[in-house]
Amino acid sequence: MTSKIINMAEIIKDAEDRFLESVFRTDSVADNGFSRMVMRRIRRRLWIKRLAMPIAVVVGAAVAFKPLVGLAAMLAGILQLVPDDMLASASQALPHLSTYILGAMLLAACMLGLRTIEE
Amino acid sequence: MTRSEDHQLVARVVSGQDAHAFGELVSRHQSQVRNFLRKLTGDFALADDLAQDAFMHAWDKLQTFSGRGSFIGWMLKIAYTTFLQSRRRSKRYAEILQDVGQSMVDESRHHSMPADEVTDLEKLLAVLDEEERAIMVMSYACGLSHREISDATSMPVGSVKSVIFRAKDKIRTNFDIKDHQYG
Repeated sequence: MTSKIINMAEIIKDAEDRFLESVFRTDSVADNGFSRMVMRRIRRRLWIKRLAMPIAVVVGAAVAFKPLVGLAAMLAGILQLVPDDMLASASQALPHLSTYILGAMLLAACMLGLRTIEE
Repeated sequence: MTRSEDHQLVARVVSGQDAHAFGELVSRHQSQVRNFLRKLTGDFALADDLAQDAFMHAWDKLQTFSGRGSFIGWMLKIAYTTFLQSRRRSKRYAEILQDVGQSMVDESRHHSMPADEVTDLEKLLAVLDEEERAIMVMSYACGLSHREISDATSMPVGSVKSVIFRAKDKIRTNFDIKDHQYG
């Protein structure tokens, strides 16, 4: 008797679920360019992400150009105050200073380039 | 449309930011996500905007998809969160409008269906609160299991079951449906 009641309850529940499923069921929504629109937004975001670093470098360089020139001029003025024999001993300590600086700059540029390609 | 195919597409996107694979996921699931949001909002245009936002969030957060449940379950969780955020924003907006003494946005603008075209489903959804509506749509329109709904709504499975029970009871009471009438 008990099992009959349980079975009956399950049948009623199933019927109710079937009824609700039939009411909630709707036709699938046609794409009508929706996916294309989402992908366009994603591609735009990818491009912005890709261009952000180079643009930031260019803008930063443009903003920093004038103060850097001023700083370089000031450093040149300070260097003139340093005695010649002191400068000669410094260049002996670091014989290929300009090569090191150029190498570091090239390395930084390569890393930036690789990251952009990777993205 | 199998779960493993979805998971393969997700893996392709995560491993190489493959936009084409994500496009495939969007076109596979856009119908269910848009249908879900259309039923929640009652406004087709708003639902489509929210669906776009939800897919954008999904793109940003795809690496957090664990693969434990179905992709559509995870996607509906994002869609539901996007819907709730939008509701909160529009509530705040309405409060600001009230503060400055402007009239509220015309309520009818939110519904794209004319009154004489109200479907059985809309009548049925009207008696449910927001949470009940979301859970019933996930269960009966999207076919999510109680476990998947629990993941999507961050509610315990027991609470999901009692919300469904409560919603069914409301439907029965409001529409005077007897058990034998279902069959």
